[in-house]
Amino acid sequence: MPDSRTDRLIRVDMTQGSVEIEPVPEAWQMLGGRALSARILLEDCDPLCEPLGPDNLLIFAPGLLAGSAAPTSGRLSVGAKSPLTGGIKEANVGGNPGQDLMKLGYRAIVVTGQPADSEARFALDVTAEGASLRPADEHRGKWNYRLIEDLAAHYPATASFISIGPAGEMRLSGASVACTDQEQERHPARHAGRGGLGAVMGSKGLKYVSLDAGRRPARKPLRRKEFMALSKSFTRTYLEGPAQEPFPKWGTSVCVSEADKIYTFPYKNRVEGRSPDAETLDGMRIVESFEERGGGMHNCLTGCIVQCSNIVHDAEGNYKTSALEFETLTLLGSNCGIASWEDVADLDRLCDEIGLDTIETGAAIAIYMDSGAMEFGDAEGAKRILGEIAEGTELGRTIGNGAVATGRKSGHARVPAVKGQAIPAWDPRPLKAAGVTYCTSAMGADHTAGLIVEPGQDYEEAVRASQESQILNAVVDSSGFCQFLMPNLDEVRAFFGHFLGCEVSREAISDLGWRCLEDEWEFNRRAGFSSADDAMADCMQTDAIGPQELVWDMAPELVARAYKRFEPRDELFELRPS
Amino acid sequence: MPQVEIPRRYRGPTGGAANVEVSGESVRACIEAVEARHPGFLELVVDADGSLHRFVSIFVNDEELPRDALDIAVAGPDRISIAAAAAGG
Ligand code: SF4
Repeated sequence: MPDSRTDRLIRVDMTQGSVEIEPVPEAWQMLGGRALSARILLEDCDPLCEPLGPDNLLIFAPGLLAGSAAPTSGRLSVGAKSPLTGGIKEANVGGNPGQDLMKLGYRAIVVTGQPADSEARFALDVTAEGASLRPADEHRGKWNYRLIEDLAAHYPATASFISIGPAGEMRLSGASVACTDQEQERHPARHAGRGGLGAVMGSKGLKYVSLDAGRRPARKPLRRKEFMALSKSFTRTYLEGPAQEPFPKWGTSVCVSEADKIYTFPYKNRVEGRSPDAETLDGMRIVESFEERGGGMHNCLTGCIVQCSNIVHDAEGNYKTSALEFETLTLLGSNCGIASWEDVADLDRLCDEIGLDTIETGAAIAIYMDSGAMEFGDAEGAKRILGEIAEGTELGRTIGNGAVATGRKSGHARVPAVKGQAIPAWDPRPLKAAGVTYCTSAMGADHTAGLIVEPGQDYEEAVRASQESQILNAVVDSSGFCQFLMPNLDEVRAFFGHFLGCEVSREAISDLGWRCLEDEWEFNRRAGFSSADDAMADCMQTDAIGPQELVWDMAPELVARAYKRFEPRDELFELRPS
Repeated sequence: MPQVEIPRRYRGPTGGAANVEVSGESVRACIEAVEARHPGFLELVVDADGSLHRFVSIFVNDEELPRDALDIAVAGPDRISIAAAAAGG
C-alpha cells in the first residue's frame, strides 16, 4: 500500500508532448490540494504569464487525505492563473478523480505548454503503469455527457474522468472542469466551476484525463490503528448529529427559504435581496419530486458520509441532472427572474454539458436581461443563450466569458463582481464577513474561500471572522475533506497527525492555512494586483436591499485588516465551514 | 423575564444582538415579543402556518423542545435558546 512518503508528481508538457514523473519535494510533504497548488504556482509559474498561453500551469492536486479511509476526503483542487480574474485560482471539486489519483500515488498533475496546433486534442491516461498522452481529436467539440458515455465504453469500469466541454475548448472565461461522480454511469456532474479553469485546460489542448486506480486499496496512514479509530469515531459522531439536519440531509438546495429570509437570495440581477419565487425554487420541491419521479440523495464521491448531492429526474422519471445546488437555483433562477426549479434543472444540465460555471453564467445572463436585451424570467431564452455558447456565436461567447464581459459588451453598469468574478448567492450587503472575503481573497468573489452567515455582525468582528474562515477553508480545501463535512481545524490536524505519523499542533495547522493565503496573495501581487483590485462592486455600494436598506458600506482600510494576521484564538480551531 | 438567545444567522433583525429579554408566558409569546421589538425575526423561526421552521430547534434551559410544543409555558428566569442548523452553499 502506498503512503504519503512515496508520493510523486506528474509533469506534463503539452508543447513537447512529454510526461515526466518525479518525487514530491521534502518541503511539500504536508501540502495537498489548494495549498500545494498555490505553492507550485508561486514557485513554478510566471505570475505575469498570459492565462491562456503556454506558460500558465494547470494543476490537479487532490487533498492530502484523498484516497485514504478518512470519511468524505477525496476532493480535488484544480488550480491555475485564472483567465477570468487574472489572478491565482483554485476550484475544489468532488467526484472520484481526486481519490483515484492519490490511490495511484500521485500528489498532483502539473500541466504546462501548449500544442502548436490549436485544433489538436489530447488525453492524459493515468494508471498503475504510469501516465501517457495520446491524441484525442475524435472527441473535439463533444459535450461532457456524450464524451463520458463514449469513454465509458472503452475504459475499465474502475476509471474516472476529468474533462471539458465546448466552452473550455473555446477558452471561454466562464468554462468549468468536470469530474465524474461515483455512480456506475459516471456522470460528469461535479464541476470545478469558478475562475474559468476549463478555459486553461482547453488552451492546453487537453480534452480529458482518465484515472484508473483499478482495485487499489486505500492509502496507508503512518499511524494506521489510530487513524482508523479516529475515522470511526468521527463518522459515528457525524451520523448521529449533523447528518440528521435538513442541510446536509437534503442538500444545499433546501437553504433557499432560509437564505431568502435573511436577504441573501438575490433577485433580478441583485436589485432585491429576496425573491417572490422562493417557494417555487425551494429545494424542498426537488425533495418532494423524489417519490413520484425517482432520483434522491447520493454521495458524489466514494466514501462520502454526508451524501448532500441530489439526483434530479424529469417528469418521465429519467435522470436529468445532479447536483442542483442552492447557488445554481439562485444565480440561474431567482437572479434571472426564473421561477421554476425545473427550468433551472434544464439550465444546470446544459451548463454541465457545455462545461460552464453556473454562478458566472447565471450572473452574466442576469446582466444581459437587466440591460434590456431580454426579459427577466425568460427561461426558454436563457436555454437558447446556452445553446449559443455551445455554438460559439458572438452573443454566446460574450455570455460565456462571464459577468464582466457581458456588462462591458452590453454597456450595462450594474455588474456585481469582485476582481472580475461574479458575486455568488451569499450577498455581501447583509453578510459583511462574506464581503470581506470577496474583497480580500486572492480569488475574488468566491464564497468557498471563506463564508460566514451572520447578518448584523459588528464590522470589526466581520473582518476577523472572514480571516478565520479564510484560514479554515484554505486548510479544508488542502485536506481533501469536503467543506460540507464541516470539520474544524482541531479535527483536521488530528487526521493529519495520524496520517503523517507526527504531531500536528494548532500552530502548525493554522500556519498551513495562513501560508496558503500568503502564497496566493503573493502570486497576485507579482501579477500586478494592488489594493485597487479589492474594491467591492459599485452596485453593492449603491443599490440598497431590505427594510434596513443594506448596502456594502465597509471602509477599505477596515477591510484591508484581513491581510494582517490576528493572534489565533480558541474560536479559530472550533469554527466549522458554513 | 425570560431571555431569548438569538443564533448568529438570525441576528439581522436584532441588529447583531445575541440576547433579548422579553416578557411572555409561552415560548411562542416570547418569540412574538422579540418580533414586536425587532420586526422580521418571527418569520425566521416560525413558518406561516405557525410551525417551527425546518432549520430551527428550540431549547428551554438546555432541554430540546418537541417541535409541536411552542405553546409550552415559560416563567421568569427561563432561557430560550434558538438554534439554527448550519446551511451551506
Ligand atoms: S458532502 Fe456533498 S459535495 Fe461533498 S463530497 Fe459529499 S456528496 Fe459531494
